Amino acid sequence: MRTVKEPGSAHSGLSDWYWQRLSAVVLLLLLPLPFFLLVSVYGGSLNQQALLDIIDHIYSRVLHTILILALIIHAYAGLKVILEDYIHRIFWRVPLIGAMLVMMTGFGIWWLSIIWAWA
Amino acid sequence: MQHQLKREERPLSPRLGIYRWHATMIASLAHRASGLALVLFVPIYLWLLRGMTGSTEQFDATLLWLHSGWGKIFLWLMGVALVYHFINGIRFLCIDSGWFESRAGLRNTAMAVIATAAVAALLLLVLL
Repeated sequence: MRTVKEPGSAHSGLSDWYWQRLSAVVLLLLLPLPFFLLVSVYGGSLNQQALLDIIDHIYSRVLHTILILALIIHAYAGLKVILEDYIHRIFWRVPLIGAMLVMMTGFGIWWLSIIWAWA
Repeated sequence: MQHQLKREERPLSPRLGIYRWHATMIASLAHRASGLALVLFVPIYLWLLRGMTGSTEQFDATLLWLHSGWGKIFLWLMGVALVYHFINGIRFLCIDSGWFESRAGLRNTAMAVIATAAVAALLLLVLL
């Protein structure tokens, strides 16, 4: 037990695990939508006006917002686990996880502002 | 012997150099690799979204880039990573729910996921 750096079970581990799965289910349901939109635009079956009509809709904006929140939670949980596994020095690990969180929050705010700024 | 190794030589998780390669291990590592790749693709996706919802010229330029060599490489890599992470994610959720928890179940589903992703990769290569 002397070598355990962070206590796992019964502390904050279950919360991370639970949020990762919950966001995974949300992404499972929502991520196919933008994927098919991108494929349709690439294939030429959707022109810009048709695309804008779809993503300007209030339902699309709300779903897009939920998608972004789930994506950030999921990416944060995933990258945090990777950093914790491969970076063993707390001196590097904590600032890296913090920097990642700051960057993701920044991207999230930028993304949300793009979505809700569409006229 | 494990306990005779010096303190700093002890393997830390995940022990890539120690375990023999299994389908399940490849599936898990590929899940991480594809997840990391997908995070890196998010800024490009945002850039595409901005271009597609911008002016008509921006939309045309974005579409032109998607059909260029780099655009196709991006779409292929993102598509393969997404398909793999998606189906292996479903597999992980199944395992968490108690399905395919046997040794054979874990191995067979890992192989099935890897095979499906390989087929999807080839299919995408033809379609793009």
